[in-house]
Amino acid sequence: MNEMVSGAIVFNGERSRQGYRLNRMAMSLTSAENRTRFQTDEVAYMRDAGLHAGEQELVRRRDWKGMLEHGASIYLVIKIAGAVGHSLQQVGAHTAGMTLDEFHARKGH
Amino acid sequence: MGRIIGGIGSSHAPSIGTARDKGLQDDPLWAPLFDGYKPARAWLDQVRPDLFLIVYNDHMNRFFFDAYPTFALGVGDVHAQADEGWGKRALPDLPGHPDFAWHLARSLVEDEFDPTICQDMAVDHGVLSFLPLLTDTHWPVPVVPLAVNVIQHPLPTARRLFKLGAALRHAVETYPGDLRVVVMGTGGLSHQLHGGNFGRVNPEWDNRFMDLLETNPAELAALPHRDWMERGGTEGIEMILWLAMRGALAPEVRRLHRNYCAPLLTGYGLLALADQQVA
Repeated sequence: MNEMVSGAIVFNGERSRQGYRLNRMAMSLTSAENRTRFQTDEVAYMRDAGLHAGEQELVRRRDWKGMLEHGASIYLVIKIAGAVGHSLQQVGAHTAGMTLDEFHARKGH
Repeated sequence: MGRIIGGIGSSHAPSIGTARDKGLQDDPLWAPLFDGYKPARAWLDQVRPDLFLIVYNDHMNRFFFDAYPTFALGVGDVHAQADEGWGKRALPDLPGHPDFAWHLARSLVEDEFDPTICQDMAVDHGVLSFLPLLTDTHWPVPVVPLAVNVIQHPLPTARRLFKLGAALRHAVETYPGDLRVVVMGTGGLSHQLHGGNFGRVNPEWDNRFMDLLETNPAELAALPHRDWMERGGTEGIEMILWLAMRGALAPEVRRLHRNYCAPLLTGYGLLALADQQVA
């Protein structure tokens, strides 16, 4: 599970297995109709998608880092982020333990 | 018979599509990217290929982990655009080339590559972000897309992709029709989308990579995944897809054009190579 490279997660079979429900829910958001349903009632949508309580809590808290650590793929995390109006940069900065402002300051833009 | 006339390596990223759609071609941040594609496009306009064979990766848009293919070949009449989670861009569906694609399927399997064969293969920014920079978006040139798993480990090795390139060449050269093909490999270059090094790009490695791809691809083919990820990021592992393009070309190539810039979160590379065995 803990295969890492330079502080980054290597998305392997163990992670894919653990994160399967969360990843499947995120994948469903590639449908505009599903995005609307999710945005209308996140809790009901996640319950119907079979997410466990802890997984629902990660989404409710917008805990992008926690989702990755739970086995979500970064490519699927950003679909959940997109549906709730968070950008890739917000997600990335969060996974680095920074605010967006701190990230911009470090990158110099 | 078919012939490969050249190859193009290109980055892909949602940001390229967004910048194009917003008309930022002359924006100071983006001009070095868009200007960099102009000579490659001029070459394509001049040689007028009959087909683009594009080795790319899907980003959890067409394929999901319920059944995740290591290699997937699009054999349909058209390739729709996948909704990546924020709606589709104003682009028509891509035309396919079923006759060549099925020939390619047979040839690849004979050569011991076994792709999942897809009659319905929506493509994402892995194809559609950079392609409008190289051709008109009424898509005058048909496309055969070949998706490769670079997301869920275990991934195919760099060497495997280099060998895939040779199998692509064999398929083109055994196609009975007259078909002039440009092979594209797309992904990367360095980018890290999560973790403590989020946003890190590695221009030194990206440029070294393009040097080696042109002159000594065997050295790249020998690199284990960990080396690619340490240098270019865990998501930057996509760079190995360029080896399929290079493997499809003759050992000696002529560089037509090269560009590099890294304005934001990704190293954007472009390399256009002519096959030396083509007069």
